[in-house]
Amino acid sequence: MALIVPVIFIAVFTFSAIKKVNIYESFTDGITEAFKFTVSLLPCLAAVFMMCELFERSGLSDLLTRWLSPVFGFLGIPEELTKLVLIKPFSGSGSLAYLSRIIEAYGADSYVARCACVCFGSSETVFYISAVYFAGLKVKKLALPIVCVLAATLVSTILACLICKIM
Amino acid sequence: MNVIFTAVFISSMVALAICAPQDFLPALMQGGESAVKTALTLFTIYAVWMGLSKLCERSGISRGAARALRPAAKKIFRTDSEAATESLAMNISCNLLGLGGAATPYAVKAIGELEKESNSYAQKLLFVINATSVQILPTTVIAMRAGAGSVSAADIFLPSLICTAVSTLLAAGLFIAGNKLWR
Repeated sequence: MALIVPVIFIAVFTFSAIKKVNIYESFTDGITEAFKFTVSLLPCLAAVFMMCELFERSGLSDLLTRWLSPVFGFLGIPEELTKLVLIKPFSGSGSLAYLSRIIEAYGADSYVARCACVCFGSSETVFYISAVYFAGLKVKKLALPIVCVLAATLVSTILACLICKIM
Repeated sequence: MNVIFTAVFISSMVALAICAPQDFLPALMQGGESAVKTALTLFTIYAVWMGLSKLCERSGISRGAARALRPAAKKIFRTDSEAATESLAMNISCNLLGLGGAATPYAVKAIGELEKESNSYAQKLLFVINATSVQILPTTVIAMRAGAGSVSAADIFLPSLICTAVSTLLAAGLFIAGNKLWR
């Protein structure tokens, strides 16, 4: 598995060299684009991260966790995962930190940790992605796609907890 | 986004002002700081992959991939744009390889190209696919479990594959169905 990335790089570089592409210039041009892209992203990131930080520190996220735990339990999602499932749509690094805490607390091979890993691996940071993708565009009616994604994520979370019990 | 942002921001601000007003400014600063740190990490990832993608572009690799995927892209995304198809192809292959960080710049590029033909349907569908994480190899998670001393770190591979396939198909299906109903 670790070989995939090096193989891709070697293949592309060799192929480009055969095609007589100016590799140094092209690579630098790509990085210039990457730089412009990152800079254009920064305002969105700053705003979203400020929102997450406020949400976390104000205690509202804990409150929401406490309210929703019983609902999640009813759906077959372990209580310990409530916060992870709630944070994931907003923040990748936040949920990653929380995932490592779960693995540490319950052990990597425990049911809760395996559930957490599957949930984490099969979902994405929905709000963050929508902020990045549609930054500066005038696309309207984003509610439908976002609702679809969130609904599907919830279903796959429930499914993850079921499958981990069997496998 | 605006509605959610405003609602969460205002309710959090009010709660924080009541519980711990001295934490208010530090919280905002902290958010800004982690944004800059994240941007730095993202830049390194994008620099590597967009450098590589420039090479693919100039050597004709991505054009070849786009040509192969043209009929499929036409059917699924209803797009005729060659540049958009190129970015779409790269985005989806990165996703399948579990290179989530590399997939993002291609998605943004594709969305920009689709904007030119004002194809908001394809833009939203691409978002739905990316936001439900089409991933074959959950590399990060497997690495984390191995690091924590798991006996078989990769045994979550199959459950993850099933879940991510279900969520992507379900979300895309819901979106396409919803799109038809609302028109």
